[in-house]
Amino acid sequence: MKRRILLLAIVLIVFMMLPFFLSGFWIRLLTHTLMFCALASSLNIMAGFTGYAPFGNMLFFGVGSYSSALLMNYLGLPFFLTLPLAGLTAVLFSIFFGTMFLRLRGQYFALATTGAAEAMRHVVSNLDFAGGGQGMTVPYLQGSPAFINIYFYFVMLGMVIVVTSFVWWMSKSRLGYAFKAIRADEEAAGVMGIDTTRYKIIAWSFSALFTGMVGAVYAYWFSYIDPPTVFDIMWTVRMFVINLIGGIGTVFGPIIGAFLIETLSELVWSKFLYLHMGVLGVLIILVVMFMPDGIIRLVQKRKDALMPILQKMNILNDQREKR
Amino acid sequence: MSTVILEGKKVSKKFGALKAVWRVDFQVRQGEILGIIGPNGAGKTTLLSMINGTETLSEGEIFFKREKISGLKPFRIAEKGISRTFQVVKPFPGMTLLENVAIGALFGKDKIGNAKIAQEKTREILDRVNLGGKADVAVENLNISERKRLELARALAMDPELILMDEVMAGLNRAELDLIMELIQNLNKEGRTIVLIEHVMRAIMGVSQRIIVIHHGKKIAEGTPEEIKNNDDVISAYLGARYAKMRGRNAEG
Amino acid sequence: MLLQSMINGLFFGAIYAVMGIGFSLVWGVMKIINVAHGSFIMIGAYITYELFQRFGVDPFLSLPVTMTFMFFLGFVIQKYLLNRIVRGSIFITLTFTFGLQILLANVCLLIWKADFRSIRVPYARLGVEIGPVVMPSVRLGIFIAAMVLTFLFYLFLRKTKTGVAINATALNFEGAKTVGVDVMQIYAITYGVGAALAAAAGSLLIPVMSVNPFLGAQLVQRVFIVSVLGGLGSPLGALLGGLLLGLVETTSTVFISSSYQELVGFAVFLLVLIFRPQGLTGKRFF
Repeated sequence: MKRRILLLAIVLIVFMMLPFFLSGFWIRLLTHTLMFCALASSLNIMAGFTGYAPFGNMLFFGVGSYSSALLMNYLGLPFFLTLPLAGLTAVLFSIFFGTMFLRLRGQYFALATTGAAEAMRHVVSNLDFAGGGQGMTVPYLQGSPAFINIYFYFVMLGMVIVVTSFVWWMSKSRLGYAFKAIRADEEAAGVMGIDTTRYKIIAWSFSALFTGMVGAVYAYWFSYIDPPTVFDIMWTVRMFVINLIGGIGTVFGPIIGAFLIETLSELVWSKFLYLHMGVLGVLIILVVMFMPDGIIRLVQKRKDALMPILQKMNILNDQREKR
Repeated sequence: MSTVILEGKKVSKKFGALKAVWRVDFQVRQGEILGIIGPNGAGKTTLLSMINGTETLSEGEIFFKREKISGLKPFRIAEKGISRTFQVVKPFPGMTLLENVAIGALFGKDKIGNAKIAQEKTREILDRVNLGGKADVAVENLNISERKRLELARALAMDPELILMDEVMAGLNRAELDLIMELIQNLNKEGRTIVLIEHVMRAIMGVSQRIIVIHHGKKIAEGTPEEIKNNDDVISAYLGARYAKMRGRNAEG
Repeated sequence: MLLQSMINGLFFGAIYAVMGIGFSLVWGVMKIINVAHGSFIMIGAYITYELFQRFGVDPFLSLPVTMTFMFFLGFVIQKYLLNRIVRGSIFITLTFTFGLQILLANVCLLIWKADFRSIRVPYARLGVEIGPVVMPSVRLGIFIAAMVLTFLFYLFLRKTKTGVAINATALNFEGAKTVGVDVMQIYAITYGVGAALAAAAGSLLIPVMSVNPFLGAQLVQRVFIVSVLGGLGSPLGALLGGLLLGLVETTSTVFISSSYQELVGFAVFLLVLIFRPQGLTGKRFF
């Protein structure tokens, strides 16, 4: 356990030093990747732990970015103040839709959320004060390009740390038990005293909170948002692929998955712009058919299989003692 | 006589035109062990399911400590101190034995807030059911006797006043049976009320203080194990009316 | 005015119904929520488009072609891919069809680009007038075709050997296997039939609506609403649901601005979820 924390600390320090050694392009790429780490982790809270897959989770991304944009434009609030407010707005939406959709089973929920996201996109497109279909610009950060790059890098890194810490804590807490039970056997969970609807809403609220906050960061970063972009289903698609590959319901799965997908994306797909969606689609199909548990669990299984052999060879003895 | 802790009035369940349970009245006294027997398909499990909320009632009412519980969701009923085991043991997949049972401690009657404390309490319970050494085993790797005890442990972790047991003894060998029976009697000595469905006659006749017999959804007899053993209607239900008549004639002759 | 709206609504509703019965069938038999259903509709529309543009084939006559093609495509997908995971969790199959939908959309994007495609049949101007109501020939034809298809589908399910086998498999998988039904083959046939019906809906759709590669994703929303409205898993329910949705959507434009028409569908969906989640035909599937 202590070894793990040490490892994480080292990784963290490396990440904090990186932007000072890299060019703007790489910093932006990393920030982009970190954004997906945070988004995928947020989705994981709901889909991975309770087993309910909100295919329409980009709803909160859009709500968060628009909340922040509106607050900054009309009330002149500084960005850091709009960040939690955007998150809270997203939470309100999750409670609103959650009480309606979460009384039903998972597959209904999944499609119902896409309907909700579509509806939101439609509504926002018709709101003139939000720029309607043309979208709106967001007051941008003053400073040199280098400063801006580093600023958003650290903001995103901060988001990743916050979400991951939450997921880590949650997975060991009473909340985590409730979520996992719901995922394992919802009916039995009820018989054992878990108010499943309430806990599902709680899970979705946290997912919404963090997704909304990342949306707000996005709006500030790109200085321009419009309905088709922030309510685009491709956000959720990527979040899902990342979770599938990394490992649904694990703490670090989304992070590993995000780095894998973004690297692949940069190296391969950007060359084939028009194949982007198709490749993601094929990837989803392949992963679902052959590797539904994701990479982290695959590695775990190999480790578990190797353990007895390595023990016999006296290699991992000390690790057993520390447990 | 001690107070009535659980009461059902005209409890009924219809599936379409099928009367699975029909107008059953029952009373369970605090601290007693009540057995429910009856031929297969008689409606016993459905009755149990209606008590813990897994099935809704088509007609009638159920009261727990004078409070109406029929119509409440299962988790609310669980919170009030009623827990239940299932005939086909379905533990939470993908979780260890400890985690499975800890959920009962965390969300049952006591609603323990801290995961660590819940885990400790769970270990105590696992020791009680002789599963202490297997706390970290994945539930998929347990044998049938261990699974039955897991079910019991899960129900026990909720610190229930009333435990509903559905065929906990099915599939166990003699030694395992004795273990479970002793466990049930210990739980009862602690003050817990137990209602159990069983087919293993020796066992249920041995532990129960009173017995209810269900046949075709209706209660056909009620009494002590001795009384039930000699009840003509009961014999008729299990072995047929002709046998009952024959037995009656033999007794006279 | 209202009456006209209602007639229009029924016409659209008929298409919705055809879109919905295939989806409901697949869900009812295999518990698969086929997100790719929308893309199947879209592909049917594109094929009809090509046949019309290149060979002047009338959309109604293209039905056998599109339906046969999609049947085989669906059959193959189910037999070699979906059948491997069909007995798994619903989440797995849902994600699979989700990926499939994206893939198919991309394929259509590559072939037909992002433009909106539509066709105009030569007899589009003709119509029938009954009193104050005008029934354009195309819409009338679509309505009749949709009703005929639904009726044929009903006959197929009830009267043919395969149809009965499908019913049996849906009701009791193990039981059907025991009496000798090749259940995996039945699954493949079912998915193929669902796809064929989707394609039919697409072929019927393109004379009155334009198609683009993103239509699939939009349509599957409608399809889902129709199925939930009617009762998920019940083809009869999908028929009723479709007609009802069509009615509600078009008549609502009499009262509110048409830019909110899509939201009407969603509002209906929410109401159904809140007050009667089992839909019109009433089986509790949740």
